[in-house]
Amino acid sequence: MSELPYTRQEMMAIAAGRELRDGELAIFGVGLSMLAGYFAQAHHAPRLRSMTEGGVYGATPVGGLPWGIECNRLSANATSFTHALDALGFLVASGRCDVGIIGAAQVDKFGNVNTTGIWQDGLGEHYRAPDTRLTGAGGANDIACGAGRVVIMVSHEAKRFAERVDYISSPGYLEGGNARARHGFVGGGPSAIVTTLGVLRPEPDSKEFVLTGYYPFSSVAEIQAHTGWALRVAADVQEIAPPSSAELAALRRVDVTGALRKPAKHGK
Amino acid sequence: MPAHRLISLAEAVRRYTRDGMQYASGAALPIGSDAIVFGRELLRQRRSKLHAIFHCNSQQLNLLAAAGAVDKAECGFSGLEVFGFANGLRRAVESGQTALEDYSNLAMALRLLGGALNWPFVPATVNIGSDIQHRSAFAPEDYPSTTKIPTVTDPFSGREIGAFSPLRPELAAIHVSLADPQGNAIMLGSEWSRFELSRAAGKVILIADAIVDGACMLQFPNLVRIPDILVEAVVYHPFAAWPQSSPGWYDADEAHMLHMNQALATAEGTAQYLNEFVYGVNSLDDYLARIGDDVRARLSATATGFLLDPFRQWIKTPEQVAALLAHTPETHA
Repeated sequence: MSELPYTRQEMMAIAAGRELRDGELAIFGVGLSMLAGYFAQAHHAPRLRSMTEGGVYGATPVGGLPWGIECNRLSANATSFTHALDALGFLVASGRCDVGIIGAAQVDKFGNVNTTGIWQDGLGEHYRAPDTRLTGAGGANDIACGAGRVVIMVSHEAKRFAERVDYISSPGYLEGGNARARHGFVGGGPSAIVTTLGVLRPEPDSKEFVLTGYYPFSSVAEIQAHTGWALRVAADVQEIAPPSSAELAALRRVDVTGALRKPAKHGK
Repeated sequence: MPAHRLISLAEAVRRYTRDGMQYASGAALPIGSDAIVFGRELLRQRRSKLHAIFHCNSQQLNLLAAAGAVDKAECGFSGLEVFGFANGLRRAVESGQTALEDYSNLAMALRLLGGALNWPFVPATVNIGSDIQHRSAFAPEDYPSTTKIPTVTDPFSGREIGAFSPLRPELAAIHVSLADPQGNAIMLGSEWSRFELSRAAGKVILIADAIVDGACMLQFPNLVRIPDILVEAVVYHPFAAWPQSSPGWYDADEAHMLHMNQALATAEGTAQYLNEFVYGVNSLDDYLARIGDDVRARLSATATGFLLDPFRQWIKTPEQVAALLAHTPETHA
């Protein structure tokens, strides 16, 4: 594994970036999802229109991975600064935004995302303080409700891939099927879960996520072993192309400080 | 109209805060603009039992919660972005010391808008259907919650949506890049929800990295998103958002962001941090000295510095600001 010319994190960022198409209006979350987004812009989607939820428009990062959506690494070349109500409201809740990329601490088979907390024996009937407090929903709930489609990026570990998440911070397909329709969300829901081991996509009717792709360095068996539910495999599952040299070069131009090349952290 | 609204940080906290109050800070961004020095002064004056309204967690809320000064908090994002979990807030929440009510980032902006407009509620098309709606840290027995984001019917379509409660915090301490002595303010970078917050809060204190002459505002009135009629007082405080960033003025202090967050992870570390960077700090000069000359010079060499160019001719020197402050009768009371 250490002989690969790229890291698993880089493969994940490139696979997520491939989900974005030229000309789309896109909103990026913080961290790795931002790198995936700006990678797409630097490689195959030069006319991708991007913003962060702080209302920072037109910017490309300088000096490495921005520390946040409002980081000076983005504020150094923005064309417009507005505000949260604008980015998350006027452009996402309105239904104008084509695609968003969000992260997850925990994700379940219907693409529901937990970034709020871990409760060892489940949360139960009455709310109580979490055993492990996470970061909260941030803008991901708004993106999950409003963006045309959502790409979820998550490190592929069994504890992160739960049959049911402890807490739904950002809705995927809720209980599956057409459950989202009950709430009238303007956004279509998650179109892919892109991980450090492969790509999962929802079945058209049940909305259960199934394995559609593995990387040159992973396998169906390995992915199933690292998934906390009985992960089904799509009939047309296939190997995903490794990063091309052009892709890797573009990603590394964005990831100047090598955030994706550091050894992956396992667990929190 | 008063001669000016400049007062010291200590005076602002003495005059406008009390234990148990609903206190909001702006921008409350996790690594960017926030009135962090106001939180430090709240602790120096031993304010407690706060109900914190923070659009997002910042190092200010992280510190206030770590110090045990926050009973209740309402937040969107509650981490520190790429700097990780907010260890102080996390510890306070996990121990039950702080009840943290979760919303999304759009929800917080909408609730401030609702407060600003004096609406009875704000229609919610986000947060519904998730545990943000179903679970309430303020009313833990109420499950699924019927009071946090109650379901209401859209009278036009008949569709079921949610209702957000408006926010009207008693006081907001809002960080701005530039303020004039009357309290007109220009914000560089993401405004986040400072426009709505300045209209929703009962009282507004500006914490400004620099003071400019009023002529600056006459040149750029479209950029003055917080006008003086909304403002009670202006506090001049360079590096007010440190260790976070202020576009144009300084970058985030990465080493101190990590050091501070690591310290706040334990009670012992928090006590040490408070002694060194809060209780022991006795003046603005002392504060700047503790950041360090070299560090301030490095952080000030920000790639965003050009954003200040249009305004530089109006920026007052520390001596000019001190002269104005010296002529404030209230500070001698």
